[in-house]
Amino acid sequence: MTVAVLGHWISSCTDINASPADPIDGHSAYVFNKALYEEVRNMPQHEQMDSVLLDNLNLEVRAIFAHKCYQCHSRAKSKGDLALETREQVMRGGGDGEILIPGDSRNSRLVQRLELPRGHEDAMPPKGDALLKEEIQMIKWWIDHGAHWSERAFKQFREAPLALSLPPIPDHDYLHHPVDIFVDQHFSQHRMTRPTPINDSRFIRRAYLDLHGLLPDFRVIEQFVNDPRPDKRSLLVDDLLRNREAFTAHWISFWNDLLRNDYRGIGYIEGGRKQISDWLHDAILNNKPYDEFVAEIVNPIEESEGFIKGIQWRGVVNASQRSELQAAQNISQTFLGLNLKCASCHNSFVNNVMLDQAYAFANVFSSEPLEIFRCDKATGRYSNTAFIYPELGEVVGDSLKDRLASLAGIMVQPANGRLYRTIVNRFWDRLFGRGLIAPVDEMDKMPWNQDLLDWLAAKFIAKDFDLDWLLRTLMTSETYQWPAVEYPSDAYLLSSEFVFRGPVARRLTAEQFVDVFSASVVPIYSGIDYDPDHREMKAQWIWHKEIELDRVAIPKPGTRYLRKVFRADLGTPLKEATLLITVDDKYVLYLNEQKISEGHDWRDVQKISVPVSILKEANCIAIEAENSGVLPNEAGVLLALEVMYDNGNTLSIYSDQSWKTNDRKSEGWLLSEFDDSSWEDAQRYGSFGYSHWGKLPEFTFDPSPADPFIRSAYVKKDLFTTTLNRPMRDNVTTKREEETTLLQALMLTNSAFFMERISKGAEKWYARFGDDLEGLTEAMFQQLLGRNPSDEERLVVRNSIGQSPTPEDIADLIWTVVLLPEFQFI
Amino acid sequence: MKPPVQDRRQFLGAMRNATVAALGASVPTLTYLTSCGRPSLASSADRVILLWMAGGMCHTETFDPKRYTPFEKGMATEDIWSTFQSIPTSIDGLQISQGLENIASVMDRGTLIRSYRAGDLGFILHTRHQYHWHTCYEPPQSVQVPHIGGWIAKELGPDNPVIPPFIDIGQRFTVGEGEELKAFHSAGFLGSEYGPFVIPDPARGLESVKPPEGMSIERFEARMKLYQDLIDKSPVKDFSSTYQQESLQRSMERAYRLLKSPDAQAFDITQEPDQSYQQYNTGRFGLGCLLARRLAERGARFISVTTEYVPFFGWDTHENGHTRLVDMKKQIDRPVAQLILDLEERGLLDRTLVILASEFSRDSLVEGRPGQKVKDQVEVPDTIEDMKNYGMHRHFTDGCSLALWGGGIKKGYVHGETSPVRPFAAVTEPVLIEQIHQTIYHALGMDPETHYKIEGRPVYTTPDGMGEVLHDVLA
Repeated sequence: MTVAVLGHWISSCTDINASPADPIDGHSAYVFNKALYEEVRNMPQHEQMDSVLLDNLNLEVRAIFAHKCYQCHSRAKSKGDLALETREQVMRGGGDGEILIPGDSRNSRLVQRLELPRGHEDAMPPKGDALLKEEIQMIKWWIDHGAHWSERAFKQFREAPLALSLPPIPDHDYLHHPVDIFVDQHFSQHRMTRPTPINDSRFIRRAYLDLHGLLPDFRVIEQFVNDPRPDKRSLLVDDLLRNREAFTAHWISFWNDLLRNDYRGIGYIEGGRKQISDWLHDAILNNKPYDEFVAEIVNPIEESEGFIKGIQWRGVVNASQRSELQAAQNISQTFLGLNLKCASCHNSFVNNVMLDQAYAFANVFSSEPLEIFRCDKATGRYSNTAFIYPELGEVVGDSLKDRLASLAGIMVQPANGRLYRTIVNRFWDRLFGRGLIAPVDEMDKMPWNQDLLDWLAAKFIAKDFDLDWLLRTLMTSETYQWPAVEYPSDAYLLSSEFVFRGPVARRLTAEQFVDVFSASVVPIYSGIDYDPDHREMKAQWIWHKEIELDRVAIPKPGTRYLRKVFRADLGTPLKEATLLITVDDKYVLYLNEQKISEGHDWRDVQKISVPVSILKEANCIAIEAENSGVLPNEAGVLLALEVMYDNGNTLSIYSDQSWKTNDRKSEGWLLSEFDDSSWEDAQRYGSFGYSHWGKLPEFTFDPSPADPFIRSAYVKKDLFTTTLNRPMRDNVTTKREEETTLLQALMLTNSAFFMERISKGAEKWYARFGDDLEGLTEAMFQQLLGRNPSDEERLVVRNSIGQSPTPEDIADLIWTVVLLPEFQFI
Repeated sequence: MKPPVQDRRQFLGAMRNATVAALGASVPTLTYLTSCGRPSLASSADRVILLWMAGGMCHTETFDPKRYTPFEKGMATEDIWSTFQSIPTSIDGLQISQGLENIASVMDRGTLIRSYRAGDLGFILHTRHQYHWHTCYEPPQSVQVPHIGGWIAKELGPDNPVIPPFIDIGQRFTVGEGEELKAFHSAGFLGSEYGPFVIPDPARGLESVKPPEGMSIERFEARMKLYQDLIDKSPVKDFSSTYQQESLQRSMERAYRLLKSPDAQAFDITQEPDQSYQQYNTGRFGLGCLLARRLAERGARFISVTTEYVPFFGWDTHENGHTRLVDMKKQIDRPVAQLILDLEERGLLDRTLVILASEFSRDSLVEGRPGQKVKDQVEVPDTIEDMKNYGMHRHFTDGCSLALWGGGIKKGYVHGETSPVRPFAAVTEPVLIEQIHQTIYHALGMDPETHYKIEGRPVYTTPDGMGEVLHDVLA
């Protein structure tokens, strides 16, 4: 495939993730240097410029060339034989000769062509935006002052410094927290008044959601509110950080997004992708120091190699998407806030990274140097092997393993301030709704408070790269505890107009919404797709084999019959027998002709104590199972039977392919002696651990109670969570969409899936409160909003529902409360 | 140290004005995502219905038949060109394949492209080619690229404010390769607002937009009133910005309006007169066509109706190709033709662009394309002993058929041709996916250089805005 680089260049529009608000021209990366313009304009006429000013003027003109002219006039594409990158090119001019006369802008063809009216056939540029008249003026001044060419290196885009030092904390007469002191400086500069922190009950809600992704219990809120200790807020943060399971179940989603790790997705289909879930879970659980964390991703052990391995999705891919370049791109984006995606194809248009640099970085991840492809075309050239910032150290090593180790060392050294500023900024963004730098992937942008960013990053290093320290430091600041601020639009948050006034409210993520709903109303999910506990069970999901022509097809709706004959040793006394079963969708189970159980919801695993007196020498488990619905759809039986003998021996029977199935029953099919040789072998539709249904933690003989609900972070995405903006993790995701969409509203308003869960929850509340509306309203507000309803709210509820609520009324109240803005925002 | 009490709305208003002034008139304030496309280009279509033949519809078995050779034990596989007879169509001299008699009768209303060439993606994977067809980008990409329906939804918005602009009928994501299907059934970086409204089973379309079972309209309204009343009475307001709260409420109200709207009845195909219902009812795909027609009448913007993609089923014939195609043709023939006739009768065809397409074609011998054969996936014997081997079982990318009707498409025209002898590759006027996309956008009046900047990079509707509009197929 050939890519016309040219097409990339027409950039008169607004960024999606970058500032739309450049006051001059809307370009994101290039900002017209207004200060310089004013400086030159205000100079007395005919005064000589000093060499610094001459240099600055020249560099500005070259920036204008780069952003407005290079698309046609550069080494890549020299239309009219004209390129504007080097002094020689500019002075030589194009095919028609010189374009400028130093000292005489009026007679310079460059200026003449730029000033032609739009639409004139010789007007420049012919396509895209015209130059601003201020830009043309700069070019004129530069020519009139002799068209000086600076020896200073021309950087097309701003680059943030790599080095990092700890800024001193300014003195403050009453504030103590460094974050607050830096922020207060910013507030003074903007002549703003510090807001009052939110109250205790709202603070505890925010802290719980940010650290555990859950709501605090109302009793816990009350205790907290009544706790007289002055440092109770920081003690709470410490407490929450100590509960590592709850913390990990929330924060793993942040890291899964950032490390594009998921349990299902493209690439897995034939081993072209590898999860790092175990490694990641362990790293978060144990608060792995961030330098080690990064080092183990960059220079991986087997459990963490999935990230740099990339995603290979069968077939031929564009050269810029080979796995080594994916590694270079993803490492740069995730850990350095640097966009390498452009430079993987050609010299970047959004930063200073060159194609050769991107390949040099990719070479680190390659056993052989990679041939450079420019826009998917082989160039025959090869790059060296180097980190993207070679000044931080040389990547050495003869083997891939050695080079990765060398790279890891270079990346995590404290001199690489960029690595630490990037993670600090991501955490700030997560907790305050808008980063110190935004967008979070453009770390070359100016932060709104450089000292604050640097203090946090440098201190983070001094604190041994402790991510908990970072969270604790941010969350114990008063700044974190301020109410959410007003702002006019999402565009404003990314614009250069943005002024920090306090935290920006965040919407509950898909996972938070699912989890708080599961905890307070009724569990949303029943099956786990990533199980940190690695529970095992030999049972398999089985069903009747359904054939269409000569392929096994998705099971059709209808009733199927499954049988298993097994022998028990009746010479040894039997102690007990326990059976676990669940069936999608309905079933009746018989053991030796006796009906043992039935069920109609696969999410409810049934655990049944089977009277041992039923057992004989030869036994038959027989299941009449129904696949409901109209279309063919998933169907399965999952069963385990454990028979214990007095002597401690056990006999275990599991659903597996040794079972026999049929699509009709015959006389005597419940009997062990029935001849089922004409029946089919059961078809396997997954294992206990890996299936359409996920792993069901309740499917266990272990008597200890299971977790009350499954954390959403451990469940694969489905239409529900996808609609609520859980991202496709085929690419690195560093910021989720937060705006509510029509599709979300539809999903929440009337999807059968969500409605069914609400109704189920309503039944539970109804069982608790009956028709006690007051008690119900109070409990629901306490549980979901963490506060008591006001009198007005009680009245509204009473007027809507009447005195004695039905389960439907309760369902409607649940629906209403979980969609209130107060519930939806943190 | 208390902040001065401020009226939040006043403050907000002041801020909004300040920002507007600072940003200048050209910068939008409502959304930070804007297109560079110029909005008022001439258009010949208001909406698009994509009839998606998932799994690789063989051109020589459908719209581009070659010499027919009936099944015979011991026949050479290379003698299988077409396993169906050819039939005449309403275009003089144009023949298509037996089993498509109804579609044959409406060919004069549209254009048949016989020279589509699918992308070179190497070792075949259906979902990668489907990704390429629907997004115009070869997978994988370093950003999530939008589905063509997402682009159209974003650029043109809903034609009727209560009907979601991008509707996807007939595909479930729980069946084989569901994850891969998800990868392109999205509006990608345009945002989930423009993603597909998914209706897996058209017979249950109404369930997507009607209050769920047990929810009467009275109860539904009471619930909405309770919601609004509780928002009004909420003692706390500063948990988020007014902007965020309004955005949430606006979406809730839009959903409420849709669910209450009489237009929601369009989703209910059971309201269709029995005769018409039966005309379409060849199964899920047929009913999907009926639903698409009803939604088109009420102002849907982009509708995709698919023969559901399940690996090795539908058009994905790895064996029993002939037998399976008899059934597939039955599924599509009547409803596709009826859709065209109904749209025409209602005066909608002129402004509705209907496209029937597939990710690639099939052949009995060649996997990939001549000269660029890729790894075989199906063992094909040299001679055929069993009916099961009679058919087109390999994936062929070098010549595929695509039919278009309405929305400014030329009538009674055939574009391009494939070789009369094997390999049945496109030999004239090869058409690439970016041309198809640009032609659709052109018909809709969308600028060919429509693009957004994502992570600082401009991303166009087609890679770098490439692809010449196929003016030949336009009236």
